[in-house]
Amino acid sequence: MPIIGDRVEIERKPKLGGGGPGKIGHRRGYGGGDDGDHGRPGDFRSREQRMRRYRIGMTLCIISVTAIFVLLTVVYVVRMGNGRFDQDTRRWVYDWIPLRLPYLQLWANSLLLLLSSATLELARRSMARKEEFAAMGILPPRMKRDLPWLGITVLLGFCFLAGQVLVWNNLRHQGVFLASNPSRSLFYILTGTHAVHLVGGLFALLYAAAGRLLEARFESQSIVVEVTGWYWHYLGFLWFGIFALVHFAKG
Amino acid sequence: MQMPSPNSILHEQAGFLRRHVFNTDHKVIGRQYFFLSLAAVLVGAWLSLLMRIHLVWPKAAIPFLGEIKPENYLAQLTMHGTLMVFFVLSTVPQAGFGTFFLPLQLGASKMAFPRLTAAGFWTALVSFLVLIAAFFVPGGAAGAGWTQYPPLSALASAGPGEGLGTDLWLVSIGLFCLASLMSAVGFVATTVRYRAPGMTWMRMPLTCWAWFVTSILILLAFSILLVALAMLMMDRHAGTSFFVPGGLLVSGKAVEHSGGSALLWQHLFWFFGHPEVYIAILPAMGVTSHLLSVFARKPVFGYKAMVGATLAIGALGFMVWGHHMFASGMNPYAGFAFSSLTTAIAVPSAIKTFNWVATLYGGRICYATPLLFSAGFVSLFITGGLTGPLLAQPALDVYLHDTYFVVAHFHLIMAMASLFAIFSATYFWFPKMFGRMMNERLGRLHFWITLLGAYATFMPMHLLGIAGHPRRYSDLTGVQYVSAMAPLQRFITLAAIVTIAGQVIFLVNLFWSMRRGPGADANPWQCSTLEWTLPSPAPAEGFGGRQPLVHHGPYEYGLLGAVEKDFVMQDAPATWSDNGPSE
Amino acid sequence: MSAALRVTLLLVLIGCVYLFLAQPYWFPAGASAQSSLFDHQFWIALWVLGGMFVAGHLVLAFVLSKKPRAAAIASRGSWQLEVTWTLAIVAIFFWFNISGERLWSSMMLHQQQAGEIQIEVTGAQFQWYFRYPGPDGVFGRTDAQKFAKADEGNPLGLDPSDPAGRDDVVTTAMIVPVGHLVQMRLRAQDVVHSLYIPAMRFKQDTVPGMAILSHFTPTKTGVYEIACAELCGIGHYRMRAVVRVVSEEEFARWLKAQVKNTSE
Ligand code: HEA
Ligand code: HEA
Ligand code: CUA
Ligand SMILES: [Cu+2]
Repeated sequence: MPIIGDRVEIERKPKLGGGGPGKIGHRRGYGGGDDGDHGRPGDFRSREQRMRRYRIGMTLCIISVTAIFVLLTVVYVVRMGNGRFDQDTRRWVYDWIPLRLPYLQLWANSLLLLLSSATLELARRSMARKEEFAAMGILPPRMKRDLPWLGITVLLGFCFLAGQVLVWNNLRHQGVFLASNPSRSLFYILTGTHAVHLVGGLFALLYAAAGRLLEARFESQSIVVEVTGWYWHYLGFLWFGIFALVHFAKG
Repeated sequence: MQMPSPNSILHEQAGFLRRHVFNTDHKVIGRQYFFLSLAAVLVGAWLSLLMRIHLVWPKAAIPFLGEIKPENYLAQLTMHGTLMVFFVLSTVPQAGFGTFFLPLQLGASKMAFPRLTAAGFWTALVSFLVLIAAFFVPGGAAGAGWTQYPPLSALASAGPGEGLGTDLWLVSIGLFCLASLMSAVGFVATTVRYRAPGMTWMRMPLTCWAWFVTSILILLAFSILLVALAMLMMDRHAGTSFFVPGGLLVSGKAVEHSGGSALLWQHLFWFFGHPEVYIAILPAMGVTSHLLSVFARKPVFGYKAMVGATLAIGALGFMVWGHHMFASGMNPYAGFAFSSLTTAIAVPSAIKTFNWVATLYGGRICYATPLLFSAGFVSLFITGGLTGPLLAQPALDVYLHDTYFVVAHFHLIMAMASLFAIFSATYFWFPKMFGRMMNERLGRLHFWITLLGAYATFMPMHLLGIAGHPRRYSDLTGVQYVSAMAPLQRFITLAAIVTIAGQVIFLVNLFWSMRRGPGADANPWQCSTLEWTLPSPAPAEGFGGRQPLVHHGPYEYGLLGAVEKDFVMQDAPATWSDNGPSE
Repeated sequence: MSAALRVTLLLVLIGCVYLFLAQPYWFPAGASAQSSLFDHQFWIALWVLGGMFVAGHLVLAFVLSKKPRAAAIASRGSWQLEVTWTLAIVAIFFWFNISGERLWSSMMLHQQQAGEIQIEVTGAQFQWYFRYPGPDGVFGRTDAQKFAKADEGNPLGLDPSDPAGRDDVVTTAMIVPVGHLVQMRLRAQDVVHSLYIPAMRFKQDTVPGMAILSHFTPTKTGVYEIACAELCGIGHYRMRAVVRVVSEEEFARWLKAQVKNTSE
């Protein structure tokens, strides 16, 4: 994409009238430099501009999501480590019941998520390929080697969620309830929070996939895909983090 | 007042919905936040009035409310703290003035994610309404204090306010977290992406630095709080036991939960809570640094030191939460670490103080209302701040913890200092926000009353704390040595009544000036930052097509030899910079 | 305006200083071993920070003067100054901080001592209970949920089947012998409370689910008030008790009497 993207940029710049002056000499003692963007701040038309902006927005979201999961992990580990102090026997009681995990299901879900990440990457590439046409205002032709990757990704995402629901049901049938033990509560919270965030990603992808019907500009679709991509891969990474946590830190 | 540009006329003509509800103009959103906070602060101040009256005249019948019962007092206390901390101090200095002026000071015409910013405001509004609604539910509003320590806050059976009232509190603050996150994302993205050409990091006004760092604190702190709230909610309704230990017997009934830790909540809350108090003060510090330089007609003393201190405060803010828990039963060894870290965080604050003083030193000071309030800020910050290092000593804190000494500390530094910054910012930016000037006379009167009132109200509270008067006492008759302090409490109440009455002057001034105030020209304060290159009020299209090019630092005031115009606009032609004073 | 502002700041300064010198309300007379240490540390704090408060306001009033200084106007800062005052404030704050840490360790970390009195303190909405192990020196098992009946004289839920609990003494006032280290086990039955004894310069939260060990050594006989310092509900303000510091033999007599009528 980059090469194409850049060429598009160059072609469109004049039309934009963007591109402020070059770097300006700063007086001594004022340090720092520009952040290299000389485009017009208010500019919503340039794809690069929007892309950069959305990437930053996404980075920030990822930062605060990270905060959330780091916190939950810490709580999990600490809670596992120290039990309750029994006032009368004056001994520590470790009431943490180790988790019994339905590994088969969990691995299956992991696989689904992994796949979805891959298909999303493919979707991003095929979109990038079409970017050039879009830039020239031509409705991009469907390339025959392209499958509807986006649709597939969304589908896989939903399968993952369904899989998670199955996991929870399965655990419930084994009598492992949210409230039955801290280990349980934390397992449900970790996976639940992850699922909630995934749903968010799904909505974004749905928007991009349904973009054609909604007549959304191809450009915005591809941006959404690009940026949601980061989020999606990150959630995949998070999932394996959680999986590792509940596997290695059973207590 | 200048001719409104055709664009803004169009904007005016747009329908109400377009203009106020689906609006994405950051200036409108900024004003909306401003009025939201105003509403919140009025309720909050009214509650503090009720509290003060109840404390010293328990039998006094309030119009429409009648006599105040202890549980009402606790509800008022909780709501007072919550409203003031979240809906005033985390709202107007950051989301209010920030949303309005961050883009303008950076030379941008809109926020990075206008729709997100707008969504943030509406979420905040909803959360405000939810919070207020709690007054009208059975059992009344939450009564566990703004810190909501479980098990009290986790068990509906533990008190009248702990039922629906607390649920609403949790929902409301959860929404507020989302709102703050939304607005913070916009702030950071705007700062990083939308600085006008030439507006380098080191040319940003200190206000922008403050808003930027605060937004990052918000991103981390509020997402933590969100999780904590969710967990508390689950303890209340999903039967989990994160915060509720086993074997409890509340009002004669056995509690089902088992295995939770009450301290966990305190850790989570204060891990959010301490950054939160710096979220409440950093924008205020930024405004003060900015205004002192403007009205002393001098460059900020040690710009880089100020930036450094801001960053240091932001970073250290996440490492000191334990200083709220010295008496909580936390491992005493943790006390050592938190004590030292807390002392460390006092250093950058002190550096800022020194720089403020040095900025004023030898300046050609113009004693307009904004400067008065900024000077008041410095005074109150010193007074309230210096009790910090004292409280930071576990040995001293265990005695003073949860006494009025702490109440005095945080009212002086948080309530009054930050509020003074809000006031100075209001008097200062009012022309740019509403196109008119505020009345100087009334402004000064308001200042004198509020400054003296603030000290008269909160200084004596130190003595109450030293004499061992615990916080959150709805009645002075329960403990003998406490009831002995009634006279001083009565004095404090009188001072508070005067202070609060004094605020009427401000409100009159505010609303009168909005309608009748003399029109303001583009740059009434002779200010060098970009927002003052626009007509007043700032037109809807912002800079429109005209892209400001920044050639100068933000504080080029008091040029030697200059008679008429002693400052350089940030976007003045670069030629000046060649022979201008350099460091 | 300048003059008015400076005068006002000075008036505020004088008022505050007066308040702290006149001390219309102040610490109750200390009655425990650590109270003198505490008071001393507090005076240090008052002098160091109070000094800064005064200095700060004097400087502030000074710089808010009318006449501009050309030299000053030109200046954008001076790293020499920044470094100087940073080092100065670091020195002051951390010297102060370390002195405080020393006190903290001397207060918190102690070795078991001979003849220390064991007391279990339990906070419950809105009442303090104090339990003495009795002659056998062992606290009986309790289970509030099963056995606690405040009206039947068993507010803590002593387990009747536990012999160790038979001779336990439960009171609503804390009685301690002067000069002995009082070793407390703090518990709470429902929500967080905080045992606050100003005269002993003592405060410790009592947290449900925890048994926090804490201690103080009364040095003066007399009756001192206990307040609850952690918001615990409507009755928070009236959750009061007293600690009676008595002579050793009086304490022994009292305890014997108590044991007798509990075992009957
Ligand atoms: C805006 C909010 C704000 C700010 C900025 C601060 C600033 C500080 N706070 Fe405070 N604090 C609160 C809001 C704030 N606090 C609140 C709300 C609570 C109570 C919460 C609750 O329980 O409800 C609290 C409670 C609180 C406690 C817990 C008390 C207790 O409950 O037992 C502690 C303990 O360490 C503490 C410490 C500090 C310190 C060390 C600073 C430092 O940052 C202060 C640094 C400033 C200075 C040191 C002054 C600098 C000036 C000079 C050095 C003068 C010298 C100048 C010249 C000579 C020219 N604070
Ligand atoms: C911003 C924070 C803030 C502010 C401004 C105030 C203002 C006041 N507060 Fe307090 N207060 C808290 C934050 C604040 N408070 C907190 C966090 C607690 C702890 C709660 C808890 O324990 O859980 C508390 C608790 C508290 C107590 C302790 C009760 C107890 O422990 O038993 C008392 C008692 O006197 C009190 C009194 C007052 C009084 C008399 C004022 C007066 O100063 C009020 C006067 C009003 C003003 C000066 C504001 C006027 C402003 C405007 C009119 C407009 C400005 C806004 C815009 C321009 C948008 N407050
Ligand atoms: Cu018990 Cu407050
Ligand atoms: Cu703090």
